[in-house]
Amino acid sequence: MNVQFKKGVLELCVLVLLDKQDRYGYELVQKISEQIDVSEGSAYPLLRRLTKEGYFTTYLKESTEGPPRKYYKLADSGRTYLHELLQEWKEFSNGVNQLIKEGVKDD
Amino acid sequence: MTKKQFISKLNASLKRLPYEERQDIIQDIEEYFVIGSEEGKSEEQVATSLGSPEQIAKELVAAYRVEKVEETTSTGNIIRAVWAVIGLGFFNLVIVLGPFVALAGVIIAGWLMGISFVASPIFVLLNVAIHPQIFEIFDLFFSIGLAGIGLFIAIGMFFATRAIKNGFVRYLKYTIGIVKGGLKHA
Repeated sequence: MNVQFKKGVLELCVLVLLDKQDRYGYELVQKISEQIDVSEGSAYPLLRRLTKEGYFTTYLKESTEGPPRKYYKLADSGRTYLHELLQEWKEFSNGVNQLIKEGVKDD
Repeated sequence: MTKKQFISKLNASLKRLPYEERQDIIQDIEEYFVIGSEEGKSEEQVATSLGSPEQIAKELVAAYRVEKVEETTSTGNIIRAVWAVIGLGFFNLVIVLGPFVALAGVIIAGWLMGISFVASPIFVLLNVAIHPQIFEIFDLFFSIGLAGIGLFIAIGMFFATRAIKNGFVRYLKYTIGIVKGGLKHA
């Protein structure tokens, strides 16, 4: 799949993963790379950028296993942004699915 | 690559960022290695899955440059941001440098026109000083008229420059987000 395409989707994935619960960076990246073939290192600049844009806040939380971890929390503006992106995604994927249904021969 | 090698490469490629910013990034990446090893991954494995430290650094530097432009839109900052974004990949050369050169051309041309209109009475007077025999009063009035138009152009250009700058910064941010920002070449 091409780079631009994945890039836009990755932003949506990160926002979706943070909607229900706060997560640390490693967890976020693992969750995404389980489903989508992305370079783990490239998700980090995205996290950092979205944090600077004010969509996330971060805090440190003690871990039972080692040093404290940086957790990402979805801010209100991030939640608004998530819903905008979700809406766009739904319209887009519905459109594509519809075209595939009409266009691809079944036999 | 070991954790130490990865971090030192990353650090070297981030040398243009301020110290605190760099420390913050390195801390995050170290955390990543620590959690990876808690999950039973070797340093080699974590480094491989992270990809190239230079590529990560490029993206971080580009994002930082664009952020700087938002704080203070000086010409120097814009040029540095354009340069950093272009560094992200060949595709950006076309979609960033093209509009940049075109917009810069429009701004420079507009200002030159405004300034030369405003200065036109001076040219007329210079001309009179050099060739007093071909002085025509019409030239003087015409040039004063031009100077008036030039002032309006200059005022217009002042606002146009600001609007174009802001628009272009938005475009740069969009470019970082959409074009390359985060995924390996597929």
